[in-house]
Amino acid sequence: MTDVTLPPRKRSRFFENRAALVLALLAPVLTFFIVFNTIPTLWLIGLSFYNFSLTSGMPPDFVGFRNFFAILSSKNAIWFDLSRTFTFVFAAVTVQTLLGGLLGFLFWGSKDMPGRRVALTLLFAPMVLTPVATGTFFRFIYDPTFGIFNYLSRALFDSGPIDFLGDPSLAFWSVLAVDCWMWTPFMTLMTLAALGSVPTAELEAAEIDRVPMWRRLPLVIWHHGKFIMMLGILLRTIDSFKTLDLIIPMTKGGPGQNTRLVALELNKQAFESFNMGWSSAYAVLLLLISIAMTSVFIFVLNLRRRRESGS
Amino acid sequence: MTYSKKPGSSVLVPRRTLLKGGAALGLSTALGAPFINRLKAQESHPLAGESIEMNILGIAGWLPSSLGVQMSPLFADYVKERYGYDVSFQFQEAPFADLFQKAATSLVTRSQEFNIIISDSQWLGALAQPGWILQLNDIIAQNPNLDIEWYSKAVVDTYMIYPDGSQNIWGLPQEGDVEALFVRKDWLEDETEREAFKAKYNAEMPRTFEDFEALTMDEFEKIADFFTRPDEQRWGFAQQYSRVYDFATCAFNNFLWSRGGEIWNPETGQVTGVLNTPENAKSLEEYKRWLKYCPPGATNIGIAEGIDVFTQGKVFATIQWAAVGPAMITEELQGKVMVVPPPKHTGPSGEAKRIYSMGGQPWVINAFNDEQKMRVAIDFMNWWYQPDTALEFAKRGGNPCDKATLSRDDFNDINPWNRTFKFMLEDGRSQDFWHDPKYSEMLSVQQEGYSAYVTGQATDAQAVMDYIACAQQQILYDSGTAQDAPPDMCAMTTL
Amino acid sequence: MSRLKEWSYYGLLWLVALIFFAPIAWIVMSSFKTRSDILAIPPKFFFTPTLENYRELFNRSEIFQQIGNSIMLSLGAVIIAVIVSFLAAFCFSRFRPKGTDFLMFLLLSIRMLPGPAVILPVFLMYVAFGWKDSHLWLMLFYAMFSIPFSVWILKGFLDGVSTRFDETGRVNGGSWLHIIFKVVMPQVRPGLIAAFIFNLIFVWNEYLFNFIIGGVNTQNIPYALMVGTYADGGVNWTFISTMTSIYIILPVVFIYLFQKYLLVGMTFGTVRGEV
Repeated sequence: MTDVTLPPRKRSRFFENRAALVLALLAPVLTFFIVFNTIPTLWLIGLSFYNFSLTSGMPPDFVGFRNFFAILSSKNAIWFDLSRTFTFVFAAVTVQTLLGGLLGFLFWGSKDMPGRRVALTLLFAPMVLTPVATGTFFRFIYDPTFGIFNYLSRALFDSGPIDFLGDPSLAFWSVLAVDCWMWTPFMTLMTLAALGSVPTAELEAAEIDRVPMWRRLPLVIWHHGKFIMMLGILLRTIDSFKTLDLIIPMTKGGPGQNTRLVALELNKQAFESFNMGWSSAYAVLLLLISIAMTSVFIFVLNLRRRRESGS
Repeated sequence: MTYSKKPGSSVLVPRRTLLKGGAALGLSTALGAPFINRLKAQESHPLAGESIEMNILGIAGWLPSSLGVQMSPLFADYVKERYGYDVSFQFQEAPFADLFQKAATSLVTRSQEFNIIISDSQWLGALAQPGWILQLNDIIAQNPNLDIEWYSKAVVDTYMIYPDGSQNIWGLPQEGDVEALFVRKDWLEDETEREAFKAKYNAEMPRTFEDFEALTMDEFEKIADFFTRPDEQRWGFAQQYSRVYDFATCAFNNFLWSRGGEIWNPETGQVTGVLNTPENAKSLEEYKRWLKYCPPGATNIGIAEGIDVFTQGKVFATIQWAAVGPAMITEELQGKVMVVPPPKHTGPSGEAKRIYSMGGQPWVINAFNDEQKMRVAIDFMNWWYQPDTALEFAKRGGNPCDKATLSRDDFNDINPWNRTFKFMLEDGRSQDFWHDPKYSEMLSVQQEGYSAYVTGQATDAQAVMDYIACAQQQILYDSGTAQDAPPDMCAMTTL
Repeated sequence: MSRLKEWSYYGLLWLVALIFFAPIAWIVMSSFKTRSDILAIPPKFFFTPTLENYRELFNRSEIFQQIGNSIMLSLGAVIIAVIVSFLAAFCFSRFRPKGTDFLMFLLLSIRMLPGPAVILPVFLMYVAFGWKDSHLWLMLFYAMFSIPFSVWILKGFLDGVSTRFDETGRVNGGSWLHIIFKVVMPQVRPGLIAAFIFNLIFVWNEYLFNFIIGGVNTQNIPYALMVGTYADGGVNWTFISTMTSIYIILPVVFIYLFQKYLLVGMTFGTVRGEV
């Protein structure tokens, strides 16, 4: 415990004023927020009504809602990208939550395991690997001629060459598998945190009362751990929605458009084709989707507050 | 064909090691000596006594770009001696797919981050239109040394001019590049193989440059088929099919043009009706059909992957850029590789023709350079096109484009691919695709389309061509380049 | 649990950990191979290790600049972010100013947009103001990106610190500055460390922003990895594996050292002790 008895000292008068203090504490974050978020966002929204290409050498040309119309009515643009992205998010989050949760439970019961800390470090390592490097190296691991996966499948099952990243029916799932490899450990981490948040007293009480495991889970563990688990799921949802630098080196959105997620399409239009107006409109649409997702986030967090005030 | 490893062509040494070590060892001085007439008095030069740092942006992992850098100490010696100023070079790089992005994000800030840029040929429009790079007509008028006779009109069209058909010069050729067929000479000359081939197809395998010059795809297919032996982990052929950048496009255009097709009408900007003809759809089917002679995973083959499969001995022949010759002919493959013109295609008209893609890159100069840097950039260009420099470039594995160097008696012997390079550089044998500022969008549409088709995601070649043509027509119509909006049939197209 | 059962249970856990680590081990092994050993079929598990790749890596002229940038940008950005976030979180937790919920909501929305959407207007702004390719502005932008998550974690922890401490401090005549930094801050250490590490990993591995609003002077290692994928002789596997092996050391050491803080940190302050 920190010693809170203090030598008498002259208090700064400024900070005694509550409003001034609030302002002073918030000033840095507000400055950051205005400079790096509010201004750029307004800029983005403004630009979305213009036809503006950096490489045309022409000034921006006001076109009203035409960019939005072009994006939403195009058969190939946003709808396919969004459906692929949501499939990706849904599959990735499901697999990672189930697998990560299972591993979390397993590791939870291993407090006395020799070298547990090292084992957990090894397990967590994929999520700290640079996505750019992960993507590039998995291209090698997946390679039909030089890759180790194909070597193993040839050696073990005598199968023909499998073109993980070039076969349209496999590419999407191969990319997804790498994402799961990277981020399952994160859900394990969240599960461990969630399990850690369950009060020991209640677990012991359940132990004494001989509540069977399958009833202990919903009654005690889920009751306390669900907030953190939900948080983990939401963080993964957000981050897999943004997946970009893992895919660029692996498939660049191909074969065809098979792995073209929203972030890839936007990156291509904005920073390869330099269509700033079109891309701004696309980004504004993504912003709206993000706000909807953020609302879900807030809703879940409020559940916690309600729970707390209720109990 | 003989290929002896020359002391100067150190392609196997990593570039930076060479740069550092080379300078330290006095390599540059040794090589630089013949360039400099030491008796000549220093000319008066506005930069005399100054010390200037220049930045070059080039293509990562691209030998000709790195040669430009490796040779820059020679330029430093040259200007020191001749003009009395010091110059040092910093080299920045980005891979093909990201380099335009890198250059554009910098140039739009009017930054001098990159003083000289090695641009890919199709970027000329996108760099010139917003005024990011310097128009060179006046510079050439003031510097007679830069008024060079180029080897062919293809050189001028590909590396220098934008818009097509105008007189506006924006770039000067850094590296000339054409498609070549790299074949395993040792497999070809194996007598048991030759006999087995003869027994199987009742024909002789080609042996010489001239044999290959006359070869058509139909004849070549037999050889590719003959060497395709998956059980031996060997395949007959490889070409680019990758979704990345322009890889599939360049390889497919070889088929499309040689078989008599066109990609657009450069005068009117018309794409629909030009690109999506039934003949071109047939070419796309042909392009895909060749996959069966390629190693597994060939739909991911780009430039680097093509080098890997060839140098690891997985394929008999591959269509590859002449520029990567030094990487294709590794130490183990010395004397075992032959570089020949790629085969002719027999199109629907029945005529066997050969029109392949042009590769290569021009130098372009940042328009926002201050006076000093601009002066150095122009000095650099003057130096680059001196006969001695061009020859040195060729000796290190680069491909110059000026008529004087290419016409030298010994040019064909400098590198194993030089004869093919010259052959393919002649007018009518190679051409480049659009230089329009919208190239990136048009390219990505067709890369997606071709990739979808070759990987089997889309199965109807005609539908893929329709989709691409319509999307490109829309892009050009929106930007004002094309006069006509996409026709009504486009409402139905999808990938 | 019987001893055998226990050991096979531990064995299974170790196996899982090793399976997850295997691709990374493969990368690290590759960094000690020659190029043809890397590409060899069948794959070589036993080979004569070579240090040539490392020697070559450190012969690259920009390598030290890139490593330096990586360290400076990520440390700088995350330290700024954690301090700023701590102040804001303290304010949100203690004073609940009007609009707290709304501000927290807005902060999070930044994290939700895909990278290109975030960077697009920022890029245009940086172009207009001439901030591109500057360490300071890139660092500040990274800090901005690290703030939302830090505020959320820290607010959770601060909510768990009883206001009694503040009050006692006030009664004893302590200034707010003293209370914030000397009394409250030490109590949320796990939250600070968790926020620090999570954001550090993010900035450490960040590529896109560096590529778009950075430049020659600010290039970091992920940028180098992307740009160095290709060498003159094909894909540069030796460079990729060597660079990655070196680059992963720091984050792995961090997660080893601060493992328990990470776990506590991710409880968002609902747990105060060990997890």
